[in-house]
Formats: sequence, structure tokens, C-alpha cells
Amino acid sequence: MRTDTVIIGGGLSGLTCGIALAKRGQRVTIVASGQSTLLFNGGSMELLGNIDGIAVTTPLEAIGTLPQSHPYSKIGADKIAGLADEAKQLLADAGIDMEGNASANHWRITPMGVAKPAWLTLKENLRIDDLDKLPAKRVALMCIRGYFDQPNGMLAQGLRELGFDVKAIEFTTDDITSLRRSPSEMRATTLAKRLISNSALQRIADQINNLSDDAELVLLPSVFGQTDATDFQTLQSMVKKPLRFVATLPPSVAGGRIQALLRHYFKMLGGNYLMGDSAVSGQFDGDKLLGVTTAKLGDMPLKANNFVLASGSFISRGLVANYERVFEPVFDLDVDADGEREQWTRFGVLEPQAYSRYGVATDNDLRCMKDGKPIQNLRAIGSVLSGHDAVKMGDGTGVSMLTALAVTKGIISGK
Amino acid sequence: MVTNEIYKKEYDVIIIGGGATGAGTARDCALRGLSVLLVERDDYSTGATGRNHGLMHSGARYAVTDGESAAECIKENMILRRIARHCVEETDGLFITLPEDDLAYQQTFVEACGRAGIRAEVIAPDEARAIEPSVNPDLIGAVRIPDAAIDPFRLTVANLLDARINGAETLNHHEVEGLIVNQGRAEGVKLHNKLNGEHVEVRGKVVVNAAGIWGQRIAKMAGVNISMFPARGALLIFGHRVNRMVINRCRKPANADILVPDDTVCVIGTTSDRIPIETVDDMRVTREEVDVLLKEGIKLAPSLATTRVIRAYAGVRPLVASDDDPSGRSISRGIVCLDHAKRDGLEGFITITGGKMMTYRLMGEIATNAVCAKLGNSKPCITATLPLPGSEDDAPSQSDATKRYSFGERAAIGRHGSLAARIEKDNDIDNALVCECEGVTVGEIKYAVHQLHVQNLVNLRRRTRVGMGTCQGKLCSCRAASLLGEFNHDVKRAQKDLATFLDERWKGMRPVAWGDTLREAQLTAAIYEGLCGLDQAVSTQRKEDEQ
Repeated sequence: MRTDTVIIGGGLSGLTCGIALAKRGQRVTIVASGQSTLLFNGGSMELLGNIDGIAVTTPLEAIGTLPQSHPYSKIGADKIAGLADEAKQLLADAGIDMEGNASANHWRITPMGVAKPAWLTLKENLRIDDLDKLPAKRVALMCIRGYFDQPNGMLAQGLRELGFDVKAIEFTTDDITSLRRSPSEMRATTLAKRLISNSALQRIADQINNLSDDAELVLLPSVFGQTDATDFQTLQSMVKKPLRFVATLPPSVAGGRIQALLRHYFKMLGGNYLMGDSAVSGQFDGDKLLGVTTAKLGDMPLKANNFVLASGSFISRGLVANYERVFEPVFDLDVDADGEREQWTRFGVLEPQAYSRYGVATDNDLRCMKDGKPIQNLRAIGSVLSGHDAVKMGDGTGVSMLTALAVTKGIISGK
Repeated sequence: MVTNEIYKKEYDVIIIGGGATGAGTARDCALRGLSVLLVERDDYSTGATGRNHGLMHSGARYAVTDGESAAECIKENMILRRIARHCVEETDGLFITLPEDDLAYQQTFVEACGRAGIRAEVIAPDEARAIEPSVNPDLIGAVRIPDAAIDPFRLTVANLLDARINGAETLNHHEVEGLIVNQGRAEGVKLHNKLNGEHVEVRGKVVVNAAGIWGQRIAKMAGVNISMFPARGALLIFGHRVNRMVINRCRKPANADILVPDDTVCVIGTTSDRIPIETVDDMRVTREEVDVLLKEGIKLAPSLATTRVIRAYAGVRPLVASDDDPSGRSISRGIVCLDHAKRDGLEGFITITGGKMMTYRLMGEIATNAVCAKLGNSKPCITATLPLPGSEDDAPSQSDATKRYSFGERAAIGRHGSLAARIEKDNDIDNALVCECEGVTVGEIKYAVHQLHVQNLVNLRRRTRVGMGTCQGKLCSCRAASLLGEFNHDVKRAQKDLATFLDERWKGMRPVAWGDTLREAQLTAAIYEGLCGLDQAVSTQRKEDEQ
């Protein structure tokens, strides 16, 4: 099979890269295991949220202060604003309507009611631009009876601390109660599958209209709209008050939808998405990668001019640690990681953990290093890169999209 | 009874320590009609009781080196199979000889088992491989003995429950700060209620020190010296159960030579190191301990090499020097019951220590006999024959459970025996699963909160196994924290509680944080910190608390 570029990994970075390349007329193949960390994404993208535990308000400025080892520094702090606009447009083209901009962070509201800095947030989700100017005072927090993946008490408490006047209201409908019969069915994605028809949404709207009293804003867990945002629009047209969704614990309906829409868009552009396959090894000729062998294609390696590694961090098995060392499992690339096991982690679970900054080593064009030398046609993007910390810095999704777009330019220009 | 009223009463006996020994003593005392208060500084079974293999020894391990302990073990083993059958899984065990071991030792071993009254049947290596497919196929000899698996958390709770059914009061999170001593007589304890910070005194005619390795500190508060020799043992839990039977090495007891199947997982252990008494609260497992456990464990069951390690933990055995040899050269593994009136001239104070989790009931009986002698109570002990709550004769057996109930109900019957009937399951919400790995329902959590003294998630884990399965509490801990916040009407505490719980889990994961365990850790961080911002919520609260 001959393609221009093979991308290993079908999550946010791999799809962003695949879409951008396909738009420029390239033939692209993505090898994807099928799951991605978008399932833990509540419907927001972050460019840079925190530095040393302090919330970042103007990410473009803060990015200028990052060390050279950070992926943003490698692609150039001056390029970030342009790439960020491009990323937002790419999402919109895929049917993902998000609001926000790179010059000033807004606040997303987490499932536990914490306000965290964000760059882009889905239009239907609760978003606060200025914590001193809340979008409403009196809020009806609608809680689905028997749905435990939204910690309602914590959420209500968090919203109150932000200054909202919160009334938590429990409700259910026949559609929801019937799901309850199977004890493990009450998950966001199952609810989203069940709550599609206009009549099911009307039954929920009726409950909200009956129960929400004098609220100025109605909040619902984000368990609607598996395939697109029309369920929100339908529901909003039925509910008499402004309505917003709040992210839930995984599996996230919004994250699943972002993944599905990006994949759909990539395929529409002619991209080849090899679902359920994984890269196992590569064939090199000096500093060039010739082909990639996958688990399913066996002795028919995928050949291409360029390759992109978008295989993610430990969660996605883009990095693997065994008893002795941290390594990159497909090509055994050089990694930036500590040698001794004791150094990988710290004692307190909420402390910054060293392992979360580990990743493959690259040069400034994000070319992967192997045995100390860059592989000319293999670039790395997203969470498999070293030097950033999605958990503590809130830079995971931004790094994924922006490194993907930066690498696209390198591939197209042939540099 | 509300806590304030508990403080006001005067008791026949106050028992210090909520491990198996304290719980067993409380039950025995209550059954003999004494008024009883048990106090525990942390949660029930936090110390050595909750930090061992979960092995119901046949005694075979001690047969060669300590015949007396071995005989005690097999006797208690047979008793526990009757009175605590909902805590026991009758797996049987193997003592295997590997090519590097001396096969001649097998003969010595079998003879010693015979002397101690332990059934020991030599079987061919082929048969051993057939009945225990995970065993090292290179074995050259095997002996089948009546080892079994026991859940020490469940066992302790069952004893406490029965103590309470018979009138005892029990308080967890109450630390003893001092003893009330008056004219050569212990008259009660000074307590610190760690839940609300209160300091109180409670009076009792006799005080029993059942505090395990911390018993030396308790004795010192009464001006009494006991020389304990803490022996630390580290263990590893694997992500699933590779073995059906307990697997031991047939040689003199050494490091990491027992592999026990426990519920959905299996446990290898233990190391054995003397540590200074000052370090008994530091339960961190070292790299060296992990390395030796893995190396030796793989020799028992080679598939452990490719099985995920989910957790490491360590406990401290309370070994005691005999009084005529304070140097500790002749340390006893047997039961030690000290009447400090005879030994030190302090009336009303008894220490029960040494022994093993296996002999907790006998230790309770011995301590209770000593208490009764002081109080002039002549009622006989009935704990060897009276089943624990959950194990009554008409309690549903595991095989009944398999036939009749849903996953959640089946798991609950496994954990609580006949007491599972107290779990609400009449509506769809009560039946909803909170922890999918271990099958814990909302109803079971309600039951634990209302009847099993659950104040936080760590308590809840010990009572119900929430978060003990393969995922180590990835999602269920948030669901459970949220429910606890609701039942206890304290949301703020729920977030801190969740952070404490994750920290507690992490302590065990960190020494083995590679492979899928590291993945799981990163996933948990992505969810709780990245998605939810728990770190931010907790640090804000801590700042508020400080102000």
C-alpha cells in the first residue's frame, strides 16, 4: 500500500495532522487502535492552563516564557497564534463549534465544579469568561436520578463557591428509569444513545420546565448528542430558559463526539483510517524510515514518504515502562526519561509526577531521534512528545493540535 | 448509642486495638456478659491484620520449626472453617520442592506435620501440575495440606459486629493518649477523637492492650516496659488470580515463599526484616523488597512474570522477647499474654500480643480468661463453636449465591454472608453498581455507612472492597465519595476524602509503578486532575483550613 504519509495513532493529534495533510491533497493513512484520550475530554481544548500551579490568563504571552524543551518552544512561540486560529477553524470545518481564543483563556467548569483555564469550549457547555461577571446568578442544576458519574454534591458546592446561587434538582423520566434496570447501564454514553428521539427530549424538557422555578440558567450533565450538537439545539428549543451542559466523568459524550466528527471529516477528505490496527515495528535505511509493519497487515508494511508518530503517552501505550526502563515500543526511539525507577514518580499522588513529562526525544523540527540522530522522515506530535505536562500545565490538547499542524507544514514544504 | 454517651459509661473492660485480636477479644468478653468498649486509633484492621497474605495457615509452615504454633494453627484453622465460613475460601495448599531445594526436607516436613496433627499428603509432581496449573512445572515434589484463604477485613468486622450485637461499644478513629492510673491500678484510658479533635477520658475496670506492634507504646504510657521486636514483611498484589490453591515452598521458611489466592487477585509474600521500633509507622515498600518478591514469586508460579502487579504493601508483626531474655535472641512467635499485676505490679492491665492472625480467636479467649479471672466471671468461652454473624448454619453458601442472585448480590453475599440480607435492594437505585470490578452496589454502601462505622473511603474500601479491584478505584472512588458526601451530608469532606483515598492507593502503586500500573496512574491523574481539577479543589480547601 502506497501513501504519502502514514500516521501512527488516531487520537486528536493524529486526526488533526491527517485532516490538515489530506486538505493539502496528500494521501494519508492513519493506523488507529480505536480508543483515544478524547474519551476523557469534557468538551474543551487547553493551550496552556497553568505554570507552577498558577492559572495562566494570557497563554500566548506565557508560552514565550516556556523552556526550549517544551514542544511549543520547538515549533516557535511566534507561530502559536496563527496555528491556534488554524486549529479552531479545522474544528469548525469538522462540525465542532467551539468558542474561545488564544489570546485570553476562559474558564471551563469541571465535573467537580472547579473552574479551570481553557482555550476553546463547546458552545453548549457552561463557560465563564470573567469570574467576576457570572453569566447568571440563579442556577438550576438538574441531576439525573441514579446517574453517579456526575458528582452532584461536589459540583453544586463548587458552583456556589464561584458565586452562583445553586438549586440542585433531582429528576428522572421513564426513558432513564428503564435504563436503570441493568445496574451498570447508567453511563453518559448509554444515556446519550437512549435520549435521542424528540419525545424523549420533550419528556426531559417538561421535567426541567416544571422544576426549574425562578432559575436564570439551567445546567444539565453532558449526556446528550452522541453524533452532533442538534440534540442540544432541540432540547434548548423545548426548555424555556437558557440551557448549558456540564462535563461528566468518563466516558465523555462530548469527547466521543469530537473524535467521531474528526474521523468522519478525515474520511470525507479521502483519508484512510485503519481502525483496530497498531504499528509494531519499522524498517529503516540509515536515517530514513522505509515502512511500518502493523499487527493486522503483517508482512505487507505500510510504505510512505513521511511518517508521523502520534501514539500518545503511557495511557495510549505510545510510551511503555517496564521493570527497568521507559521506551518507545514501535521503533525503540530515543526517549527523554529518567533511568532509575524511583525517579519516575513522587510520593504524593497530587504532586507533579516526572513520568508525565516523559516522551520521545526530537529535534526542533519534531523529528524523532534514534541512537542520537534524527530520522529524516519520522516526526512526533501530541502526547508522545517529551517536555510538557498535560495534567499539571493544561497543555495536552493544545500541544496535540498545534504540533500536528506545525508538522504538516514541515511535511508539505519538504523541509 | 451516640459517642458522648459512650464516653460517660464505665466499662468492665476497655480493649485497645481494632485488629483481629482486639475484635476477637471484644466479642469473647461481650459473649461472657461483660460491658465492653473497644477503641481503635485509625480504622479497624489498619495494622498487621490488614497487611498480611490473607492466608489461613494450616500450621504446616511452622511444623518443622515450631510444633506448638503449628498445632495451635491447625486447631484454629478447623474452628474458623466452621465459625467464619463466609470469610474463608477452602482452597487447600501445596508445599512444592523445586530442583534447587533439598527433596529430603519433604520427609522431615511431612513427619512434623503428622506430629502437629496436620493432614499432609505427598502427591506426584504430575498430580500437582494437574490440580494447580499455575505451579512451576519444574517442581520435583509436592505435599498437599489444608491451607485456605481468609479475608481478614471481613473477619474483623464480623467479630466487631457480633461484639456489638452482644452489647459492646466500638469506636474507630479514637487514639489512646494515656492510661488513667491510680494507686497502682489502671482505671481507664485518655482518648483523642480524631474525627472532631475532642479529648476525653473513659473509665474501665480492666484495660486490655491489644494494639499489636503499637502495644509497646501503650504499655509505656502505663509505665510498663515490653520489649517488642518489629518484623516487617512486604507483599505484592497481582492484578488477577493466577493460582487456585495456596502455593508454598517446601523448605525452611524464607522470603517470598507463599502465594495466596484472595478473591479476584493473588498475593506473594513476604519479606522479613527486623526494623527499629521507631519506624513502625513507615509502611513504604522499597525497591529491594519489590525485587526479591518478584524474583522469588516467579519461582512458585512462572506466569507471575507477565502478570500485572497492582500494589505493594507492608505490615509489621508484633514479635515479643521473652521476659528472661530481653536481648531478643529467643523471640516467640507464639501467643504472649501478660498480666501486668503479676509482672509489674500494675493492677487492671493486660497485654495480649505475639501470635498470628490465624490464632486471633484463641488470643481473644486467653485475654478474656485473664479479664474474667480479675472480675470474678466464671462463664465459659463459646467462641470456638458459635458461628460469626454471616456464617450461621442457615446462611446461604457460595454455591447457593452463584445460582440465585445478581452480580452485586452474589458479591455482597460473599462479603457479608447472611448479613447481606440487611442490604437494601428493593429499588433500582439501591441495586445500581458503584464499583464494577468488585460488584459493590449503592445499597451495600448505605449498609456499610449506617452499620459498619464507615466515615471515609478508606473505611469503605476495607468493608466492601470498593476500589480494590483491577482498576484500583479509577471511577468508583469518585462515585463512592460523592455518595458518602451525600449520606454524611458533608460535600467538602468528600473531596478531601477522595484525595486521601487516591493518595492511599498511590502509596501502594508507586513501588510497582511500571507497565499497566503506571498507565493506570496516568489515567487516574488525567481524570481526577486534568478533567476534574481535584488537585485545585483540595489545595484551595487546605488553604482555607489553614486560615
